[in-house]
Amino acid sequence: MRRVIRKWLPEKKMKALHYGAKKKPDYTRKQSYRFSRRALLVGGAQAGLFGLLGWRLHQLQVLESSDYRLLSDENRMMMQLVAPARGSIYDRFGAVIAEDKENLRLLVLPAFCKSLPGTLDALSRIVPVSSSTRDRVMRAARRQSGYYPVLVAEGLTWRQFALLNVLAPQIPGMRTDRSAYRKYYHSRPMAHVVGYVGMAGKTEVDLDPVMRLPGFRTGRTGVEKAFDTELRGSPGSIKYEVDVHGRVVRELDAKPSTRGRDLVLSIDHHLQTVALDRIKDHRVASIVVLDIATGGILAMASTPTFDPNDVAFDVNLERWRELGRNPDHPLHNRAIRGQYPPGSTFKVVTALAGLHAGVIDANETMSCPGGYSVGRKRFRCWKAHGGGINVHQAIKQSCDTYFYETAKRMGINHLAAVSRHLGLGRTYDCGLAGEKPGLIPDEAWKRAALMEAWYTGETVIAGIGQGFVSTTPLQLAVMVARVATGRAVLPKLVISSKQQSEPWPLLQLDPKHLEIVRNGMVGVVNEPGGTARRSALEIPNMLMAGKTGTSQVVSTHNEHLLSAWERETHALFIAYAPADAPRYAAACVVEHGGGGSAAAAPVVRDVITEALLRDPAGRPTFVAKNDVPAAVAAAGDVR
Amino acid sequence: MKMLFAEAPAPKLDLGKKLLLLNWPFLLLIVSIALVGAASLYSVAGGALEPWASRHVVRFCFGLALLFAVAFSDIRWWLRGAYPLYLVALALMLLVPVIGVESGGARRWLGYEELSFQPSEMMKLALVLALARYYQWLPPEKIWRPDALLPPILMIGLPVLLALAQPDLGTAALFAIIGGGILFLAGVSWFYFGAAILGVIVALPHAWEKLHDYQRERVLTFIDPARDPLGSGYHILQSKIAIGSGGFAGKGFMEGTQAQLNFLPEKHTDFIFTMFSEEMGFIGAVVLLALYLLALAFITYMALRCRSIFAKLVAAGVGLTLFAYVFINVAMVTGLVPVVGVPLPLVSYGGTSMLTMIIGLGFVLNAHVNRRVTFRRSEVRALW
Repeated sequence: MRRVIRKWLPEKKMKALHYGAKKKPDYTRKQSYRFSRRALLVGGAQAGLFGLLGWRLHQLQVLESSDYRLLSDENRMMMQLVAPARGSIYDRFGAVIAEDKENLRLLVLPAFCKSLPGTLDALSRIVPVSSSTRDRVMRAARRQSGYYPVLVAEGLTWRQFALLNVLAPQIPGMRTDRSAYRKYYHSRPMAHVVGYVGMAGKTEVDLDPVMRLPGFRTGRTGVEKAFDTELRGSPGSIKYEVDVHGRVVRELDAKPSTRGRDLVLSIDHHLQTVALDRIKDHRVASIVVLDIATGGILAMASTPTFDPNDVAFDVNLERWRELGRNPDHPLHNRAIRGQYPPGSTFKVVTALAGLHAGVIDANETMSCPGGYSVGRKRFRCWKAHGGGINVHQAIKQSCDTYFYETAKRMGINHLAAVSRHLGLGRTYDCGLAGEKPGLIPDEAWKRAALMEAWYTGETVIAGIGQGFVSTTPLQLAVMVARVATGRAVLPKLVISSKQQSEPWPLLQLDPKHLEIVRNGMVGVVNEPGGTARRSALEIPNMLMAGKTGTSQVVSTHNEHLLSAWERETHALFIAYAPADAPRYAAACVVEHGGGGSAAAAPVVRDVITEALLRDPAGRPTFVAKNDVPAAVAAAGDVR
Repeated sequence: MKMLFAEAPAPKLDLGKKLLLLNWPFLLLIVSIALVGAASLYSVAGGALEPWASRHVVRFCFGLALLFAVAFSDIRWWLRGAYPLYLVALALMLLVPVIGVESGGARRWLGYEELSFQPSEMMKLALVLALARYYQWLPPEKIWRPDALLPPILMIGLPVLLALAQPDLGTAALFAIIGGGILFLAGVSWFYFGAAILGVIVALPHAWEKLHDYQRERVLTFIDPARDPLGSGYHILQSKIAIGSGGFAGKGFMEGTQAQLNFLPEKHTDFIFTMFSEEMGFIGAVVLLALYLLALAFITYMALRCRSIFAKLVAAGVGLTLFAYVFINVAMVTGLVPVVGVPLPLVSYGGTSMLTMIIGLGFVLNAHVNRRVTFRRSEVRALW
């Protein structure tokens, strides 16, 4: 008993009780008392807070119980999310590229079925229910809450839909609804640009409950992916009262969904189709056409291609496997994901960089004996051009020797700086998922990536766009647009309502140097001895300027390891037209297509001719109805 | 009476004596709470032992074995092991973001979640042991000194910051509650607690004004998920409907409709109390809370009877942990505090949290078995 008393009595009274107390206070004992006092205090506080919980439970379960029971027992409340309609995608003149179409569907809510197999049996009299569908439904019903609807069939006919609705009272747990599926038009030419939609991945589903709605699709590639959040819109919700059998008694409250934003692409689907038709004969090829003034991408075709309608909605498994197995990877957009050595097309850059560095000028001539030596290593030119080669001739005849020397004089770092200034070696984020950056090497890069010093020989081959240098067709098109205008053009894929009015900023390059290079490019196509002489435009009074490229893919001593097609060089051609007042820029790469002048230049000539005749950049563009970012619907209280 | 605080050599205890000294009624209480959990999980699964109830029982039995192992171990091991254990837990918590970043792609997030859970669970016990160890070492006359307060604040602050960085507000709050509670029990002056509360009250509005609008929005959503009505706010409403509709007497075992229904994704873990109180009603819920309160009273009683401050603080610290878990969980499902994802100890399904709690209770029993033990100065002085 005394022990208990001691705990409660303050120190002074304790001393009075305890005759043998020492002068020096016993701190250990003091601490022990303090612990006891405070432990009891904490215990009391815990009991008090538990009392608070008890009060709360009393409030919920005794005082307000009848309200909650009403909500729970007689009329269970049910909320259903309503998927928003996905925004449409148009080309620059308003042709529909992708839109949502009505999709009549049949769903079951397992929680409301008397027996799920029974319900499915009843349904199979109207809609065919295969055994695999049955398995899928049963599995989904076991895995998730019975209050999430499970899809049984979609794409119903009106007749089936009406019949099901009539029979609804007799089949418990059944629901019909009208949702949407995605339809793609001009699908094969537009496939890579527009991409496709698919079921949300597992991580996405965890982030957003909307994704769990049956049949909800998100963008997987292309514009559909890059602009997914804009296109998606925001979901609505409907609150129902349902009776114990799961039949809807009435609708309590509905918040409509907000349709996603419509997108207008800068692509002209007609030009796109022409471009694809023209490259289709090659096994793997891609072409990009830019509107020089705005940077708008008018055409971006890549072959082999595919049909997004096969993979987006009703996945054709056979076709899907075939696409995966194809060694040419039809799903890849070569125009932004293909990274090729630019070959001789890069000489445009080397020439500009050389002029800018002052290591060459317009009048200096060199002679080409058909090769060039650095130390003991010898680099070949594709033919012996003889003497008197100035920069104009070097571009026109694509003389390697001239550019070996130029590159060696200025060094790799200057070449790399000018290349980047011309838009190479980077991504543009213009609205296509999966853009690749290519590579513009310099000394710092090589030290960081390969931990090796830079060799002069590598500078020399970089001068003709071989070695480490790699670019994508889109980058080449941007580069040629920049050379043609002298402005820092950037590519754009989506036309927004507020168009950029001011022109692109000027490049930090001397206009005289640009003029020299442009004249060289005009010579390539139009002067005797030019490498693409045969691909001159056939429109009177209109000249095209261009540059061929034939890039070597494998070094000579590995050649025997590869098949004939794989050994063949890549064919490249870059061009802009008209030469005197540039409107369109284009770049084409034919993988393993042979020489640039034979395989790539005629393609570009035909596509540019079509662009000049049709003049898509000169005509007004389409404006979509709701081309404003969808106002993010204020998240209202859904209770 | 004089013997009570004398530095007598600790009595040697063999296993037989330890078995006698064990607090058997308390153990019975723990088992009965776990059985309530098993019954609830049986009901949640719609009257089936699979997938939760049977595994819950198996895990509990495994945990019970660990509890005995901890309870009968030498308390000196834990005195010596407290700091190393704390350091290991801290290192693991530090390692979590590093490993999380390394594994790229979609799996990163899950892997991160999976791993982050474990070290912070371990830290809850390690923090209790380390703080108790510190106050066993600190001469009691120095407790009032500000410099003596610095190490424990550091010990609490580091895990709190790490948990906030994850970010996991619930765990950070738990660390702060446990740590602060132990400081209070150890005898740190009221003055410091008053000053800390005052400091927070003064600093909060200023910090709030410094924030940008979007940051405020983020903080508000973090604190009050009901602002996101399609997310957790909806769960709370469903939880309240379920609890409320249970009424005074409940709908009866396995008769609950609301909890089986609807959008309670974690009805077998964090929201198990919802289902329990729907089926068992106000009576059942109060009885369950009373069981917990009884367990807490037992723990307080055991802490009071210990002789060394280490044992006292370990027992009381684990008691605080149990209390914080139960209170936050029940307050969360009844809509008193925001959803932070804290399970109901011994009842919710889930391996790690149950293991933590049950090992913690093992420490309480260890302290109880060793209630007469005091430590020699040399034992306390050595760091390990």
